[in-house]
Amino acid sequence: MWISVLTAVAEQVVNRLITLEPVLKQDLRDAEHRVLAITLTDLKISCAFHYNGEHCFVYGNYQDSADCHITTSLDTVSELKDPSQLTRLIRANKLDLEGDIHLAQAYSKAFSNLKIDWAEHLSRYLGDAGAQQLVNSLGQSKAHAQKHCETFEQIFTQLCQDELNVTVHPLELEQFKSQTRALSQQLTALEQRFNALTD
Amino acid sequence: MKEENQDTTHFGYKTVESNQKESLVADVFHSVAAKYDIMNDFMSFGIHRLWKRQTIACSGVRKGHRVLDLAGGTGDLTAKFSQLVGDTGQVILGDINDSMLKVGRDKLRDLGLVNNIEYVQMNAQALPFPDNSIDVITIAFGLRNVTDKDEAIRSMYRVLKPGGRLLILEFSKTDNEALSKLYDFYSFNILPTMGKLVANDSESYRYLAESIRMHPDQETLKGMMETAGFEQASYQNFTGGIVALHRGFKY
Repeated sequence: MWISVLTAVAEQVVNRLITLEPVLKQDLRDAEHRVLAITLTDLKISCAFHYNGEHCFVYGNYQDSADCHITTSLDTVSELKDPSQLTRLIRANKLDLEGDIHLAQAYSKAFSNLKIDWAEHLSRYLGDAGAQQLVNSLGQSKAHAQKHCETFEQIFTQLCQDELNVTVHPLELEQFKSQTRALSQQLTALEQRFNALTD
Repeated sequence: MKEENQDTTHFGYKTVESNQKESLVADVFHSVAAKYDIMNDFMSFGIHRLWKRQTIACSGVRKGHRVLDLAGGTGDLTAKFSQLVGDTGQVILGDINDSMLKVGRDKLRDLGLVNNIEYVQMNAQALPFPDNSIDVITIAFGLRNVTDKDEAIRSMYRVLKPGGRLLILEFSKTDNEALSKLYDFYSFNILPTMGKLVANDSESYRYLAESIRMHPDQETLKGMMETAGFEQASYQNFTGGIVALHRGFKY
């Protein structure tokens, strides 16, 4: 039943986007009354998108035939945003596609072209100035967060690299130990030989 | 499913004359029609929307299809089907009860859904359509109120086109003992009280609980569909088997 909840939420989000961004409606024109099904092999779930020209219906546990059926894994889904990557993903065996590739490309193109003007939409509730201020602040916060993430990533990478210079690799340690053991054995043998000669 | 003998049938836990059941069921739905939607949300905590979503996902309805939403009540499924079949398709909202039909028609018109919906008062046991004329039939929470369920399923089989499918969404039986006890307590104690408070009608909701217990279980209903001629009959349980969706095809 959880898949129904997820698809219900996804349907609300997609339809909200369709209402807010008329460009999405235009881009999805080629997908009208056709069904795009997606099966995620790692999660063992399948869902489908059925756009009727006004609303998009998102189904869970879809078992019927679709105009285009994509079988892939969850980590490849983010790459579907770029329509030009579809053929590469198919060649790399990361994606299996049955049916009309143009339908998959239509969805991919529609969502990759999506640039939501949040200030415009929020201005109805906050006024023009307030909405713009909020969007700017959020944009700045996002830029700051990204910058901090990058800095942290750099520091972490540097730390790892520094650490690499002073830390002995486990294999090296193993080799050193075996060499020391061999030397110790040789020394013991030599000592015994000395003892035998002096006696 | 033959109930009792040919002249009598169940009305909840009561045994009544077969020819009386329709009017008794009609009284129940005349009484609850106005508050039907709000009570559905109250009684199921909104989960009935998820059950219906899954029914739509399993319907395979496409543009141009002719869909019959039997016992369609206030038109929850019809509203979605109407958008899916487009201008070239048609949805028939059928119900035996004119009060429910009126509520459904008003609701759908308020939603702006007027182009491709027909409202027909009909008895599921004698569907007023030619043979092989409908692509998909759904009956959601309606079959248990039908006097002769076997005859109704045969009638649905007759009007379906070859390749068409029947979907029956209905209360069913849960295997989980703890859930079953909890569900029984809820059905016979809380549900009638809620009915009394919200719709000022506890008896109708007591009938609802009783009629659910008298309805055939998953396997029996699947067998009834197969007997009527449906192929690939199968079912999926929702919410631990409290509700089940049966699906069968006509080839």
